[in-house]
Amino acid sequence: MASQKRIQKELAECTKSPPQGMTIALASESNLHKWHVTLQGPPNSPYAGGTFGLVVSLPVEYPFKAPTVTFSTRIYHPNVTNDSQGSICLGALKAENWKPASKLLGVLEAVRGLLVEPMPDDPLEARIADEYKNDRKEFEKNAKAYVARYAKGAPKYEEPTAAGEAKS
Amino acid sequence: MESDLNADLAAQEAAAREYQPHLEGPLVGDRTPSHVITEEYAKADPVYVQKTLALPQTYSHYRPVQGDGNCGWRAIGFGYFEALIRTGDASLVGAERDRITQYPILDHSEMVYEDMRDEVSILMNDIAAALPNQGAAMDVLVQKFNDLDVANHLLYYLRLLASSWLKGDPNANEYLGFIPEEIGIIGYCQNYLELPGREIEHLGIMLLYNVLLKPCGMVIEIAYLDRTPGPAVNTYRFPAEANGCDPSTLGPIMYLLFRPDHYDILYPHPPPTAPVDIQVNRASSFSHEHQITPNMPSLQNFTEVDLSALSLIPGLGLNPGVPSMSVSTASSIESYSPSPQSPWMPTPFTDSLPIRQQQPQLKQEQSVPSLRAVSVLPQPVQRQTPPLRFSEYCHPQLAETYASREPCFTTNTFKNSHFNTAHYNNPNFQPEEYRPELDDSFYEVARPTGKRRSH
Repeated sequence: MASQKRIQKELAECTKSPPQGMTIALASESNLHKWHVTLQGPPNSPYAGGTFGLVVSLPVEYPFKAPTVTFSTRIYHPNVTNDSQGSICLGALKAENWKPASKLLGVLEAVRGLLVEPMPDDPLEARIADEYKNDRKEFEKNAKAYVARYAKGAPKYEEPTAAGEAKS
Repeated sequence: MESDLNADLAAQEAAAREYQPHLEGPLVGDRTPSHVITEEYAKADPVYVQKTLALPQTYSHYRPVQGDGNCGWRAIGFGYFEALIRTGDASLVGAERDRITQYPILDHSEMVYEDMRDEVSILMNDIAAALPNQGAAMDVLVQKFNDLDVANHLLYYLRLLASSWLKGDPNANEYLGFIPEEIGIIGYCQNYLELPGREIEHLGIMLLYNVLLKPCGMVIEIAYLDRTPGPAVNTYRFPAEANGCDPSTLGPIMYLLFRPDHYDILYPHPPPTAPVDIQVNRASSFSHEHQITPNMPSLQNFTEVDLSALSLIPGLGLNPGVPSMSVSTASSIESYSPSPQSPWMPTPFTDSLPIRQQQPQLKQEQSVPSLRAVSVLPQPVQRQTPPLRFSEYCHPQLAETYASREPCFTTNTFKNSHFNTAHYNNPNFQPEEYRPELDDSFYEVARPTGKRRSH
């Protein structure tokens, strides 16, 4: 746990000037390694009007190992698994690309950017990626349906292991 | 069907991407006798067998370093702190701490590296506090380097030092030959030096040497254990000027063992004064002790005599230039008969052993056979022949592996020569056993014709 200074400063940086539409808080005051983030769907995207929950987990070896970021709110997106896991495919978070100099602020900005502009060529959900490329109208219709169904109201940060911990 | 195949491929790729090698042992292990490496390679191919057999002659111990992709950084970092500890100078450690922690880290906000810098600072303070007790300081060092979290911080700070040196060096163009053209200096820093788990390369060692070791006069010597032909590991030093210098003229040296893609730390045998001490003990157990002990200077001389005889022992090549055969005659027993000696032996033998003149003062009965050996040995012919005819017997390292691929010197010509392991002068001496089932007449015929011929 020798990275406390680093994490505290990153947290301060992210809460002070968060990426557009985001608010950041610790899942629990005693644990710097789990963050809860709310993300307002970017206005110029099919996700506009939705409020999404993100869970940021910093491994013990942070910043030498990449953090993990997952959607705790279901979302219809080529780069996010269409299940309760909400895993994100983000180049910067892959183990081989992560560098200790990378910062969480940049990671969060990249997640937001993914909603504005999905990357269908590097998909987690191949079917949604195909739809995004070949039938954009159908994609947007489905994405908006998901927003209406899952992303209205305050996000929940449900996690299998720490269900009682979720408070924002 | 095809999608199944693609899914399989994707799963395989994912597995390969996420594969974590199963790493065993501590990050930095304990000092271990180096013959463990020899045993490890006992069944490898002959080049490795030969080189690892020779390794314990130079290096007594090694310290295994975990091969997680950071081992080169880990080994050099550990070696640096260990060398500081060996100086026993707490004020030097303090000065180095200031130098390192104040070195300008380029292109990163302080937020990125302050935790790492703090760990370096804490470690060096702890070391300085433990000195001059070097053992306690080493305990601190080993403990810190085996704490994964602390070690990550320490090693990454070294990476940042190296990359900052590269970015800030006005002569950085000299390094361009080591850097893939398409990525350039910044790309090299980002994708090689600053990527955790990315193994150090030659350029990384040069940079780390320049930024970390050069200012305090340290030297890295790397022993390369690879498939290149040769009787022993090749060594190379950073800086290049240090190659070929006597180690006593250089600053603190850290020794590394390089095997393809991996670094460990080596420890050479202590300087030659130590073995002499050991020999004093050994000489005192000789049966002639009562003649030696009254006279201390003689005892010193005697230890020198015995020291040279040490090279008789396989694996203890104190004097590899002298063929082991000739040394053996120096301490030969009285009944020794000189006839099997090769005619070219005496010249280097007498030249290379100055102790011969001291022998008569030592012990009358020991000097007699030696002198006789010299006087009886044939003199006139070998003046024209080269003083030393090189054969594999000149190399103790080779002589050691000799047993494993030994040709049989039991023909009539060689039977009575020292090439036969049944000859007591053979380094792999193995007395012949009497086996009644063998035809006795063989020996009767062999003996008269086994007269020594030149070979």
